[in-house]
Amino acid sequence: MAHAIWSGAINFGLVTIPVKLQTAIRTNDLRFNFLHKKDEGRINNVRRCSLDGEDVTYDDIVRGYEYEKGHYVILSDDDLKSVNPEATQSVDIVQFVELSEINPMYFDKPYYLEPDKRGRHAYALLREALKTSGKVGIAKVVIRSREHLAALKPNGDALVLELMHFADEIVDQSSLEFPASETPHENEMKVAKMLIDTMTEPFDAEQFKDTYREQVLAMIEARAAGKQTEAAPTKAPRRDNVVNLMDVLQKSLEASKKERSVGARGDAKSSAEKPKKTTKRKTSAA
Amino acid sequence: MARTTETLEVGGHSLSLSNRDKVLWPEDGYTKGDLVEYYRLAAPYILPQIADRPLTLQRYPDGIDGPSFFEKNAPKYLPGWIPTVTVKSEFGRSETVRFVLCNDEATLVYVANLAAIVLHVWTSRAQTLDNPDFLFFDLDPGDGCTLATLAKVAVGLRETLGEIGLQPLVKSSGGSGLHVAIPLTPRYSYEFCKGFAELVARTLNGRLPALTTLQRSPAKRPAGTVYLDYVQVGKGKTLVAPFSVRARAKAPVSMPLGWDEVEAMTRKRAKDTEGEFARFTLKNAPPLMKERAALWGGKAWKEQPLEAALKKARQAWQ
Repeated sequence: MAHAIWSGAINFGLVTIPVKLQTAIRTNDLRFNFLHKKDEGRINNVRRCSLDGEDVTYDDIVRGYEYEKGHYVILSDDDLKSVNPEATQSVDIVQFVELSEINPMYFDKPYYLEPDKRGRHAYALLREALKTSGKVGIAKVVIRSREHLAALKPNGDALVLELMHFADEIVDQSSLEFPASETPHENEMKVAKMLIDTMTEPFDAEQFKDTYREQVLAMIEARAAGKQTEAAPTKAPRRDNVVNLMDVLQKSLEASKKERSVGARGDAKSSAEKPKKTTKRKTSAA
Repeated sequence: MARTTETLEVGGHSLSLSNRDKVLWPEDGYTKGDLVEYYRLAAPYILPQIADRPLTLQRYPDGIDGPSFFEKNAPKYLPGWIPTVTVKSEFGRSETVRFVLCNDEATLVYVANLAAIVLHVWTSRAQTLDNPDFLFFDLDPGDGCTLATLAKVAVGLRETLGEIGLQPLVKSSGGSGLHVAIPLTPRYSYEFCKGFAELVARTLNGRLPALTTLQRSPAKRPAGTVYLDYVQVGKGKTLVAPFSVRARAKAPVSMPLGWDEVEAMTRKRAKDTEGEFARFTLKNAPPLMKERAALWGGKAWKEQPLEAALKKARQAWQ
């Protein structure tokens, strides 16, 4: 968990603060496996070439951009790297702004910046300075070889790096239809405000749970339990179970012995025949 | 990253190895080259264990943090000199699965180059596919299970088997658990072996009810217990091979253990079991393997019949 995404530094002015970039958000998504309906076999993803029908390994896969139908430009990892101005592992602060100036819609995903031992003092200084000034830093940062815009915000004792959307990623709301502002009726407004007042309470994130996840997990548990009783009935007292099992095994052993003595009279498949250890092997017919 | 390919001569075969420098364990910095190197050093010890056994590859093309997949069917581009065995699929009606048989160092290198970190093998060999040559118990510690509890259960299993004249072997899974195996004369059906394993597991569970569970659903297993997995016995079911590397931090390997070591673990205070077994890694295991191979193979690998054991069980456990 404490595995850093990268180790690098915050740069602003002439100051460099060594930090590690750490994940701040855990995804709690339920993971399902795709299974074959009839036999519950796991479904494998196969990367198959559409031209020769061969399965292809990652080593033999390149990236192509279809610039014209059926025509591709191939770009290698190196090509893409060369476009990245400077894929340095650093948070380069380019300006400071008031937090309230940034529309929250621009915020995408937070990361923690954890100071290196050498950087603890400067780290704390920057954090306190941000807190007192009420400002946040706007920075450029490279994560997984892509440059992002980000805001550097104090958060308790931590500095949080919040990745931001670029302006052209936000859908222009004028492309949708919203009612223009109008002066509402005074009484209606009063009622609406009163309703808001009565429902106002301090925000407590802990109060909200992912009920979908919990319900699905409960369902899975119940089903697994059902399968369990189906597969291995344990209702009978254990003692009887063991004794029954011994009887079944004894019978099976006797039955197979009979079979073997039949096989010994000329059945080539006789399992009594001692296998040779390393030589002769069944190879594929194909 | 620039792709590199180099050619390696192994056992008369020219193998082209790609991207040796690709990091498979980001935290430890081990690369695919390290994996290949490990399996070359391990070859004399792992090959006698996996030879002629249908092999399932667990491949991690983008390293242990990336997606992985199980590959049973030999890839179409498999070189012709690598032997395979074709098995009728247990599920599909007419389907067959063509498994790789890893019988020499060159194949092992070929497989490692596919970023197949974990090697899973059948418990029977190609000559006697329907008759396992060992029966194993997967001792799987649940949440809150200490090393001492796991070790006590393993020792209890050994004693239980000893009562009916069977001598088991033990190895770490490379993850958090232990594998206990009884080498067999390969003449029993999988069904019989599964029933036998169930008999032993139920008996042990009756003796150590507080330390063990037979509950298959992980959510329902009591905290701090060891799951006695006898369901893993069956045709097509696999075991992580001894000396196989695991796709976990530190690159631990599945290592044969001495029973004296397991006895000593019953007195250790370790909270988690993984730390104990992660002592053996891709980096430090090779010099130990010669000695360790003698614990799970060689003279220690005594094929045992089950008729007498069952007879004894009927007398002792009724």
